[in-house]
Amino acid sequence: MEERLVMEKLLGLIEPFMDDPGLLKKAGRATHLIDDLQLNSAWLVDLIIKIEDLFDIEITDDDADAIQTIGNAVDVIQLKIRDRNSAAA
Amino acid sequence: MLGLKARCQLNLQRMMGRFWFFLIGPLSFAAMWLIGYRVKDVKAFRKEIQAHFETHPGPWLICANHLTLIDSAVIAYALAPVYGYMLNFQLLPWNVPEQTNFQRNIFSAVFCYLAKCVPIRRRGEREQLRRCLDKCIYLLNKGEILTIFPEGTRSRSGRVDFRNVTYGVGRFLTSVPSCRVMCLYLRGERQDSYSNFPHWGECFHIQASVLTPSSDDKGIRAQRAYALQIIARLAEMEQQHFALRGQ
Repeated sequence: MEERLVMEKLLGLIEPFMDDPGLLKKAGRATHLIDDLQLNSAWLVDLIIKIEDLFDIEITDDDADAIQTIGNAVDVIQLKIRDRNSAAA
Repeated sequence: MLGLKARCQLNLQRMMGRFWFFLIGPLSFAAMWLIGYRVKDVKAFRKEIQAHFETHPGPWLICANHLTLIDSAVIAYALAPVYGYMLNFQLLPWNVPEQTNFQRNIFSAVFCYLAKCVPIRRRGEREQLRRCLDKCIYLLNKGEILTIFPEGTRSRSGRVDFRNVTYGVGRFLTSVPSCRVMCLYLRGERQDSYSNFPHWGECFHIQASVLTPSSDDKGIRAQRAYALQIIARLAEMEQQHFALRGQ
């Protein structure tokens, strides 16, 4: 899946967790989910579960630990989608 | 997986704590007594806890509500008498305090080190958090008792706080399946909201409830389910606490 599309879907998932959705307008790959978007660790887990559901992928504890920024999340999602597709092929 | 160096450091910390407890244990208990802290029906409570620990020596995850900076100390005071810890140092729970709270001066840093604390920076780097979680999992795998506060921080509302629940508690349970959960609800009679310290001469009420969280899910979903079951139990205990006091 194209990075731009993954990013769009991801931002859509993040929005409901935000007290100030305006912060998302300036969000990019380097945006930190906790420091910049003020998600707490519990919401981060909720977000990861929503990502799993939307993209039909499974994210392990190690993958989850690697997700700190939007860019990290996009990379993990793309990697998992590739893994899933190659396993199915 | 925790490295050899970190494992040795934890074992050394435990050894040092055990040695120095003969000094700091009685001093801490005496200080609490002098400040006038009392735990209501403490003898009956300690008997109840002892019965649980006899049924299952460890590992135990003690999940408590969080209102003051010294909740862990009051919990340790309530769980066993000072000689109980001298005879069996394993009874003294490990704690995971916020690093910035206890490293304010050298005395509190040393005290916390000897009192089995594993520092954590809740808003720190994920790698740091991960190392701390690994240490806790290592300790639980060794059959130790660990106290944590699933609310993550002192509840700003003064009531069990679902909003900031940390799912790390669920991670311990998925990583150490033999671990049992004991929910503790602790509150001073004059504790209306959160504070740094309880009031002088405070009388605490404490109740325990053993919980077996369950989930059909795996991984992160199971961790979330466990954490939510624990926080829900704490909320129930809070309701009971206030119902018993007609509030």
